[in-house]
Amino acid sequence: MAYVLRDWPPLRIFTSSAVFAFKALFSWLRPSMWVVQALLLPLFQIAFFVYLARFVQPSGTSVSFIAVGNAMQISAFSSIFAVCNITSEEKWQGTLIPIIATPANRFPLFLGRAVFQVFNAAVTVAVGFVYAQFIFGVDLGQANLLSLVVVILLTSVAMTGFGLMLGSLGLYLRTAMIIANVFLFIGLLLCGVNFPVSALPGWLQPLSYAIPMTYGTTAARAAVAGASLADLAPTLLEATAAGIGSILVGYGLFRAFERLARKHGRLEEF
Amino acid sequence: MSRFQTFAGSFRMSMTNFFADPQWIIPNIIAPFTFTAVALIFFRNVTGSVALYAVLGGGMMGMWGNTLYGAGFALAFDRWNGTLEYVMGTPSRLVWIVAGRSASNAVLGLLNALAIFAVAVFGFGAQLGLADPLRFFVALVLTLASLSALGVVFCSSFVLTRSAQIMTNGLEMPIYVITGSMFPIALLPFWTSPFSLALGPTWGIDAMRYAADPTYVGMGFGYAVDVAVVALTLVAYLAVGFVLFLAVENRARRDATLVEV
Repeated sequence: MAYVLRDWPPLRIFTSSAVFAFKALFSWLRPSMWVVQALLLPLFQIAFFVYLARFVQPSGTSVSFIAVGNAMQISAFSSIFAVCNITSEEKWQGTLIPIIATPANRFPLFLGRAVFQVFNAAVTVAVGFVYAQFIFGVDLGQANLLSLVVVILLTSVAMTGFGLMLGSLGLYLRTAMIIANVFLFIGLLLCGVNFPVSALPGWLQPLSYAIPMTYGTTAARAAVAGASLADLAPTLLEATAAGIGSILVGYGLFRAFERLARKHGRLEEF
Repeated sequence: MSRFQTFAGSFRMSMTNFFADPQWIIPNIIAPFTFTAVALIFFRNVTGSVALYAVLGGGMMGMWGNTLYGAGFALAFDRWNGTLEYVMGTPSRLVWIVAGRSASNAVLGLLNALAIFAVAVFGFGAQLGLADPLRFFVALVLTLASLSALGVVFCSSFVLTRSAQIMTNGLEMPIYVITGSMFPIALLPFWTSPFSLALGPTWGIDAMRYAADPTYVGMGFGYAVDVAVVALTLVAYLAVGFVLFLAVENRARRDATLVEV
């Protein structure tokens, strides 16, 4: 049975794609550089907004709220930026056409490309929480650690799905780098990272709730306050739905753009 | 070819490249814009010199975003496009080529800062009353030059690595924090002070605040001292950048591992 499952084409494509993506990443990125990035990015992002909040001291906004929100949002560097650029990077390397020419199912192929970034995102968030507690004084004494771990993992998966959806645009556009940059930071405004979503204009709030990070920040704060998995189930279900919805929309867009690119012969136009 | 011709040619080429595909301004400006927007929401019930931190800090971030990314990608794009060997193979010194590119990014950085000021003032209704526009402009230009020179210093190390993009991403936020772009550096842990004070932009943003608001106290040294220190750091960064570039260029030619590192 195990042999049959291992040879199941989608699983084989997913696995080989994930292994290739991992090897390709560390063929140009030194592991030490990866570690430095994982250690520095959360520290300075949390520091910036915590010191800003301490300076302004806005009523109703606490350091804990901001530190936890930014610790979660820092995962966007992996789950949004890196994942969104997958198609563009294939384009730059000249490997997109051979990939598109293969009969391999695109769904497991691009999921495999992105899977390391789920791990990457979760590690960065975990580092962010360590800083939140030991440098910025967030009290994790009451936190439900199991809930927090599940929230971090689920949000990383859901945000990676959102990144894949954005990345599908890179198949047709000259580059997805612009979109990647916009969505890398726009979460700071939209996803309840630094202030509640309710502080945004009403017309922007639906966009907030289309991004899985919004549910992730809400659930993480509840987990820090001690909420159990059962308490968090509705929020986690919403995050999962947003993540799965993103992946499905992304896959649909990818196939539509692939057909369009084939039709107009502009797959590598940039 | 004279150094000035190299510098001018590189500046012109960089500008031409930018205007051929101006969408690349977005990655450089989106972080400063978002940070400023978040800060302005934080500052919405605050007025006076405190609110000024958000607007001026946003402008400084806009300049740093562009100069840093300009420095980071000045040679990374050559590496990706396979033109780095040709650039290194020209008889012109690499430092003058990079200097021309950095100068063009500085000009675009100034446009970034103005765009952020405009969005803050017209989009968010922030106050940007300049008590002394001339002194403000001098501080702004010196700060921009200092940021650009700092970018050149970092760029020298980017010649030796394929991880320039990672390093660029990693260097954006620390400068925002350590220079106290949107809050007083007194809030930071004491041990960070030497780093803050060694950075020209820390003094530049302080000078800009002095020029914008006569009631501003800041670091306490006054406008003239701030401007003098920015000018001093500018010269120091340029000197360090020049020496580093010569060393790095020589090493790259000697080891012949330019596109493999």
